[in-house]
Amino acid sequence: MTTRRAFMSNLALGALLNGQVPQGKAKRVIWLFMIGGVSHMESFDPKPELNKYAGRLLGDTPYHAALENPLVKQNLREVIAGLHKAQPRLYPLQTGFQKRGKSGIEVSDWFPHIGNCIDDIAVVRSVWTTDNNHGAQMQFHTGRHVLEGQFPTIGAWVHYGLGSLNENLPQFVVLGEPIDSCCGGPGAHGASYLGPEHGGVRLDVNPANPLPYAKPHVETAPDAQRRQFDLIRQFNQLTAEQYPEDVGLKARIKSYELAFRMQTAVPEIMRLSAESPSTQKLYGLDNSITKPFGETLLAARRMAESGVRFIQVFHGNNGGAGKWDGHSNLKKTHGELAAQVDQPIAGLLQDLKQRGLLEDTLVVFATEFGRTPGAEGTNGRDHHPYGFSVWMAGGGIKGGVVEGATDEIGFHAVENRHYVTDIHATVLHQLGIDARKLEVPGHKRIDIDYGEPIHRIMS
Amino acid sequence: MFKAALLLGFTLGLYAQKPEALQLLESRCLGCHHTAGKQSGFDLSKREAALRGGDRGPGLVPGQAKGSFLYQVLAHTARPAMPKFGAKFTDAELALVAAWIDSGAPWEKVVTTGPKPSSHWAFNKPQRPEIKGSGHPVDALIVSQGQTEAKPAVLLRRLYLDLLGMPPTPEEIARHGKLSYEQAVDTLLADPRYGERWGRHWMDVWRYSDWYGYRRSNEVRNSHKHMWRWRDWIVESLNSDKPYSRMIVEMLAGDEVAPNDPDTLRATGFLARNYSKFDRDGWMQDAVDHTMLGFMGVTVKCARCHDHKYDPISQEEYYSLRAVFEPYEVRMDRVPGETDIEKDALTRVFDAALDRPTYVLIRGNIQTPDKSNVLTPAIPAALGPALGKVEPVSLPLASYYPDHREFVHSELLKEAKAANTKAAGDPLALAAAEAELPALEARIAAERAKFAVPADANFEDLAAKARELERKAGLLRGHEKLQRAQAEMTAALAGDKPDTKKVAEAQKNLAAATAALTQPATGYTPIGKEYPTKSTGRRTALAQWIASNDNPLTARVAANHIWLRHFGTALVPTVFDFGLNGQKPTNPQLLDLLATEFMRSGWSMKALHKLILTSAIYKANRPASRRLEAEVVRDSILAVAGELDRTMGGADIDPAKGFESRRRSLYFSHSPDMQMQFLQVFDGANPTECYERNESVVPQQALAMANSQLSQDMAAKLARRLEGPGFVDRAFQTVLGRAPSAAERQLASGAAPVDLIHALFNHNDFVTTR
Repeated sequence: MTTRRAFMSNLALGALLNGQVPQGKAKRVIWLFMIGGVSHMESFDPKPELNKYAGRLLGDTPYHAALENPLVKQNLREVIAGLHKAQPRLYPLQTGFQKRGKSGIEVSDWFPHIGNCIDDIAVVRSVWTTDNNHGAQMQFHTGRHVLEGQFPTIGAWVHYGLGSLNENLPQFVVLGEPIDSCCGGPGAHGASYLGPEHGGVRLDVNPANPLPYAKPHVETAPDAQRRQFDLIRQFNQLTAEQYPEDVGLKARIKSYELAFRMQTAVPEIMRLSAESPSTQKLYGLDNSITKPFGETLLAARRMAESGVRFIQVFHGNNGGAGKWDGHSNLKKTHGELAAQVDQPIAGLLQDLKQRGLLEDTLVVFATEFGRTPGAEGTNGRDHHPYGFSVWMAGGGIKGGVVEGATDEIGFHAVENRHYVTDIHATVLHQLGIDARKLEVPGHKRIDIDYGEPIHRIMS
Repeated sequence: MFKAALLLGFTLGLYAQKPEALQLLESRCLGCHHTAGKQSGFDLSKREAALRGGDRGPGLVPGQAKGSFLYQVLAHTARPAMPKFGAKFTDAELALVAAWIDSGAPWEKVVTTGPKPSSHWAFNKPQRPEIKGSGHPVDALIVSQGQTEAKPAVLLRRLYLDLLGMPPTPEEIARHGKLSYEQAVDTLLADPRYGERWGRHWMDVWRYSDWYGYRRSNEVRNSHKHMWRWRDWIVESLNSDKPYSRMIVEMLAGDEVAPNDPDTLRATGFLARNYSKFDRDGWMQDAVDHTMLGFMGVTVKCARCHDHKYDPISQEEYYSLRAVFEPYEVRMDRVPGETDIEKDALTRVFDAALDRPTYVLIRGNIQTPDKSNVLTPAIPAALGPALGKVEPVSLPLASYYPDHREFVHSELLKEAKAANTKAAGDPLALAAAEAELPALEARIAAERAKFAVPADANFEDLAAKARELERKAGLLRGHEKLQRAQAEMTAALAGDKPDTKKVAEAQKNLAAATAALTQPATGYTPIGKEYPTKSTGRRTALAQWIASNDNPLTARVAANHIWLRHFGTALVPTVFDFGLNGQKPTNPQLLDLLATEFMRSGWSMKALHKLILTSAIYKANRPASRRLEAEVVRDSILAVAGELDRTMGGADIDPAKGFESRRRSLYFSHSPDMQMQFLQVFDGANPTECYERNESVVPQQALAMANSQLSQDMAAKLARRLEGPGFVDRAFQTVLGRAPSAAERQLASGAAPVDLIHALFNHNDFVTTR
């Protein structure tokens, strides 16, 4: 429902934000999203009390009040009532954990590499959401419950809100297989009423064909294609002489120049062989387990370096709710998935840091919800919207700090609670955008739960 | 407060309005402190309750802000600090609350200056402006800027793209050379491609979407299956120039005004589209919000949680509007030729729960209905005359029992006979199938007797016979299933490692088959579902109110949409908001001329098009080009290449076949999770809401035009078709509808034929209109 008619997507904004290009500590965002729901207790919020009371009914432990807490109802908006339970029998931690770094923040043994970077990371342990089903995936990106429909995502607002850093590249890029239609599909990187020009552009880490229509359907030599683009430009210029006031025509001539450069620039970004062996190793490209996600994150860094604003990376699509959805066999599945992402993510953080990019690149690690402290079946955990962990690093975020807390068993976020839009507001704040001021005619970004920036984790 | 109102001319008057501080408290506190929930016993929804306070004592003392507990908890000078969820009130907000309490905490304040919302221009009927002189009335209302008329070739191309959604072929250009401009307009308005082109525009406004949901398990969660019939109804209605007022009635209440006419029932796709499997409340919201946005340009959705801040719409009025829709649901009726409604059916709405109550949801929360007040259907008082009388509609048998129709019976019988043939060679299955056919015949006979007028005395006997035959067939089918399940079990258990999944499944089937055999048969199974015999008539009343000549908004909103699509700029730029927060018309007299002429012509869209198209302002030279919509870009490529498949209507096509199928773009599935990439790149409609298309120019469009299989293959085809002497001229004529200039001809002479065509596809003038 937009009435705005922008000729160039990258000219769209500034005007709406007081006529200035926003200035923040971060210039760009790498947004990592684990599909399915990462267990917070077995990643960044370990809870030894679960081992102590393993197998006991929650009601028989000192923490029995968790179930009667009014938050159980207030926090929750179910799509299908009663489908997911709080799971009352406590399930012990499926891996160990240790204090890491100088800050001594506890991180599970499934994430040793990220653990080594913990002094650059702010862990928010008190995030909550309202959907206890996987619509929470889209909710994490729009801030709105899936039942309310599709809305512009955080990446789309950033695209809308900020000018381009490199006109040869799309400014909002999606890497990895996005979430499935079950849970919002392309809505999790969509722009809804902002218009498709602000939506995420899916790229493949494949230099041969990285973006839609990136190369001619009929194989064409580069110089022949250059000549063809020149011919198009010359025709358009003849018309432009006839209609000197036609700004749309000028924009189109420019868009062809950009397209031609994008056609070269995007495959070049995906040419990971240009990276040194030591860099490739840092991301785990020498190991078949870490290679796929390592390549994705190396491409993400190359994009960050080249000026892409918002890089949204998905991990764990399985054509359904997501691989991280550990209802059963949690030890095996979570263990394997963590092994796929741990080294590449740590490699990304280190690489950004050694290149001086971490200062103005904000990295976010997120998932749609946590998992139940209680066991589901014999060896899994169910969905848990009441408290889970998200972490951020770089882009003016303090390292080695913990924000908020869940209770002793990881059930409720009890200290400095943060709804998902607080994460959005923090990201936007670091980019220099006031989350409350984002609106277009007919639509405010979010009316009520617009989110507050978490100032305590900012440096 | 009424910021927008300051821009507009109003009469002054007395009216009541909620104080700003109270609005603030309602939006921040009412979520917990309302009548139904009242945390800590405190209810802030009514003045006396707020003064009385809750468990912790009096809430507020009028005249004494600092001494009021409410103020203290908000200022964090007393515990518990409030709001419990969300940010502390800012100093400015606290000052507002303090001033309000100090002034006596009034629940209403009387404003004596400022505009009265109901005097807003759009809430008053349009008046036909006085037209001076004998010229074209549209031009009489426009200050001429000395525009000259566009050249005939430019104008013809403009008309074709505008009315048909594709450029004229050289043959069509030649044919039109002999016609006057007015004749050309008439010819194109009579062309069936007009319905497809403008159908897509109205599909935007009426937010057409095919079903979406969980695709892997084919689970429809939103919109509905077979929505394409509604699309075809739109196209056909436009082509036959059905009055817009009638279209509104059919879309909102086709099931009440023409319950036995499947063609009309298709129109109710407009309401079926709001279906939501898991969220009835959201479904109702969409029905209310988009009916008002699409037909009347009023944003009512704010009033779902609180009284509208700009427009004179109270929360209670919002829910009274919802009461119109409360009874309706969606169903699929069988269509001739297909007995499986999942494969094909007529998707339509009907009143399923005639007495379902509507309540105000406090703060819009589904969990806190105000059950003390059951609402009756009504429309917001400020928006025009009151709703007409709501008269319940008695439905014919074929409508409330659609499977009782003759064709359903005969097709089911045909299917049962075919099952007999299919079962040949399998004695158990054959026995069951052979018994099922007479059982079906007996059930049909019994049902016919049951609904016969006058009553059929044989009903009891026929019912008994149907029961007996159905039971017999059921037993045979049960035996067949039992044996199959036993065989499955034997197979599953065979070998060293029985397949546990298969064993479990076989066990389940076995248990079901055994249970079926032991169940006593009571009565017989009817042929299909019976629905309520009456409809409430509420939607008819609303539709007639919207489509009335006395409605101040309907004709203006539609005329504005039509003007927008002819010129690229609307007369009221906020096309979905004619309320106090919307923008005022750039030319109010012109808008009113169009609206009144539209109604005077009997709501004929074609007449309105013609009025606009014959004006000098439409025919004038345009300095700037306007990008064509996604569908026009794709359709035009296929059309000029001579490859467009002009088949009209029918089931939606998988967008993955976007290149394979040469059908027009509006025939492809279009939903939030399924869109053709090529169309998306060119700002295809947002299926959730699209009152106006975006018109971006981004590099991805250039890549799509330069590199896609569509543009490259079509360029090759057209180059082959046009090859021979005079190629360059014919290429320009075919693709751009004009001859090349000398400079262009020179430039073109150096290019290979396929490269020239490809370059012309990528020409600004191919993807734009001017």
